[in-house]
Amino acid sequence: MLLAGGQGSRLKALTSKVAKPAVPFGGKYRIIDFPLSNCINSGIDTVGVLTQYKPMELNAYLGNGAPWDLDRSDGGVHVLPPYLGEGEKGSWYKGTANAIYQNLDFIEQYDPEYVVILSGDHIYKMDYAAMLDHHKAMEAACTISVMEVPWEEAPRFGILNVKEGDVIYEFEEKPKNPKSNLASMGIYIFTWSKLRQYLIEDEADEKSSNDFGKNIIPAMLGNGETMVAYRFQGYWKDVGTIDSLWDANMDLLDPKSGFDVYDPEWTIYTRSAVRPPHYTGPKAQVNHSITTSGCEIYGAVEESVLFHSVKIEEGATVRYSVLMPGAVVKKGAVVEYAIIAENTVIGEKAHVGESPKKGSSGKGIAVVAQDLTVGAGAVIPAEAMITKNVKGVKA
Amino acid sequence: MNDLHGILFAYGPSPAMRELTQIRNICSMPYGGRYRLVDFSLSNLVNAGVTDVGVIVHSSYQSLLDHMGSGKDWDLSRKRGGLRILPPFGYSDRRIRQEYRGRMDALAGVYSYLKDIKQDYVLLADADLAANLPISEIFEQHLRSEADITAVCSTKIDVDPQDSNFFTADKHGWVTGVASYPFSANGQTSLEVYIMSKDLLMSMVDYAATHNTPSLGEVLLDMRSRVRIATYLHKGYAARIRSVDSYFKHSMDLLDPAVRADLFLPERPIRTKDQSNASTRYGSQVVSTNSLIADGCTIEGTVVNSILARGVRVAKGAKVENCILLQRTDVQEGAVLRCAITDKNVVVSAGQMLMGSSSYPLVIAKDEIV
Repeated sequence: MLLAGGQGSRLKALTSKVAKPAVPFGGKYRIIDFPLSNCINSGIDTVGVLTQYKPMELNAYLGNGAPWDLDRSDGGVHVLPPYLGEGEKGSWYKGTANAIYQNLDFIEQYDPEYVVILSGDHIYKMDYAAMLDHHKAMEAACTISVMEVPWEEAPRFGILNVKEGDVIYEFEEKPKNPKSNLASMGIYIFTWSKLRQYLIEDEADEKSSNDFGKNIIPAMLGNGETMVAYRFQGYWKDVGTIDSLWDANMDLLDPKSGFDVYDPEWTIYTRSAVRPPHYTGPKAQVNHSITTSGCEIYGAVEESVLFHSVKIEEGATVRYSVLMPGAVVKKGAVVEYAIIAENTVIGEKAHVGESPKKGSSGKGIAVVAQDLTVGAGAVIPAEAMITKNVKGVKA
Repeated sequence: MNDLHGILFAYGPSPAMRELTQIRNICSMPYGGRYRLVDFSLSNLVNAGVTDVGVIVHSSYQSLLDHMGSGKDWDLSRKRGGLRILPPFGYSDRRIRQEYRGRMDALAGVYSYLKDIKQDYVLLADADLAANLPISEIFEQHLRSEADITAVCSTKIDVDPQDSNFFTADKHGWVTGVASYPFSANGQTSLEVYIMSKDLLMSMVDYAATHNTPSLGEVLLDMRSRVRIATYLHKGYAARIRSVDSYFKHSMDLLDPAVRADLFLPERPIRTKDQSNASTRYGSQVVSTNSLIADGCTIEGTVVNSILARGVRVAKGAKVENCILLQRTDVQEGAVLRCAITDKNVVVSAGQMLMGSSSYPLVIAKDEIV
């Protein structure tokens, strides 16, 4: 069960028209491709995707699930929006646990032994089958995937305190004085009969905020259920903010980041654009970047991630930036430390973003939202969040 | 458009392709970095709303089958109709060993399939044509003109006359003369794309069988006084690929933005099998100019005036110029390639130098290690 209803408000302009899981990532993908590909690569062929916020593009993207081999006659991908029942009873998904509760019937029709709860806003590759093996071996009611984070960062996470054998005895949300550095990754495996019982009890409690982290997990711990931590090693990133989204894109360019989307044994599947191969023009300069179908590069590109059908005209320069599908950078324009969303046009000699100043802590990423025009000669400073057309400046 | 049925010819041998078609039919020849030639014909039909397509094959068609699969990438995997592969012995167990002598022979070989076509009109086309044809428009013209046959022609395509049909037409586009495999070009070149009624097609197949005329051109020649043939002049780019020379030349045509604009129209996209490759990675200090490069490549050296298919690697210090590198070609450190066509999985070891010429490009067969 993939929780994909999040608004992703910290991504601001990038989620003004789409839910966070549908935000383009890494040249060819959308964020949701990662958990979906993990599912099919782990042998999970029945996936419910819980949608709520701006679902149109996400629904269209998922379609019948064919790009992920999830177009099945038995199982496959199912989009699960909130709904009204008899007597117009029903509501929006009140919390993560309520979202699953509202779809009890969906899960029941498959009568599973185990349910994996995933979120649609993390970038990572993980074999859920290995995690399930661990869950079975430990005879756990719930297994939570964790990763070791630097101690100084632990207060930003949901921390799991464990005893021998990584058995969880306590869950602390953003503890000031952490007792452990094992952070929850928001990936849970439950024995379905147990989860079902706790979801029903939680729903009956009017005071509950119907959330896995706040209610279900503490309730299970309180009742002495066997809860275990499953240690994950490898690349994992929450791309919930502009800086982390930019960072994760840049990690694709850096072999040392440990993030590899080229592993033939663990393909990340996606709905690909139907465009011809990319073209590098007679004076193109492409360095340390990734590009894909439909791109036309006549200018200079350095340390950047280009999505499909991006056009960079002669004399334009793109550095340390992420250009989403269909973005155009006109002659002589400069784009640096920026994220340019879909189909936005950067006018001639405009300048978007700036290199971070020495000693500054943030990346200062400038963002221009989708379907906009930045006029010729306009200057967009670092950290700007552009959501309206910007007029050109007469030379 | 549910009144038109597509029949594609994908049976012909092509000895002039040398090593490149030893393992495949010309129609599944990789072209333009991520396509196979058959993608153009299939996409043209699908873009016009055609839902039923039969593909006539005869030999070395495994690679074509692998590529087309169920037809799902062209939306041709249907409950009713959709893509049908028509191999030689599909409808009879006559062990005719020889190849089809011509298109009429091929059509006779799938006679039962033709009989069951539900649509009133049929489009016949060779599947080795690279062109983006507006089939809807051509079909509309066919219906409006009340022609018996509409032949799609070009005045720009570069072909071997002795391997082509030509039509001379009056100013209204009505065909006045047919030249089949002449010594020199004569009139508009047929792109070998024809629209006619199913009834006329069936009577042509019967005629060919009784008169022992296996070639479509000959049948048209015989029938020209009894049927009204109209031409449709296609003004966009078109290429027919039958030899290594024409393959090399017409691949390189794609480096011209005007040719790409003609072939890859956003409103009529050329679809192909989805391979889920990741993006292409460029290293530092790379040169990549005037080149068409598919996804999943790793480029750390120099690539100039070339076409790279999916998953090609060009290592540091390697130099690739005027080349066509097919899937997963591995050019190792310091190797130099000029005017070469490398088939799938070719490895060019470190330091090797391979030079062809643009009039006689070097061809390296699939899986070879140089």
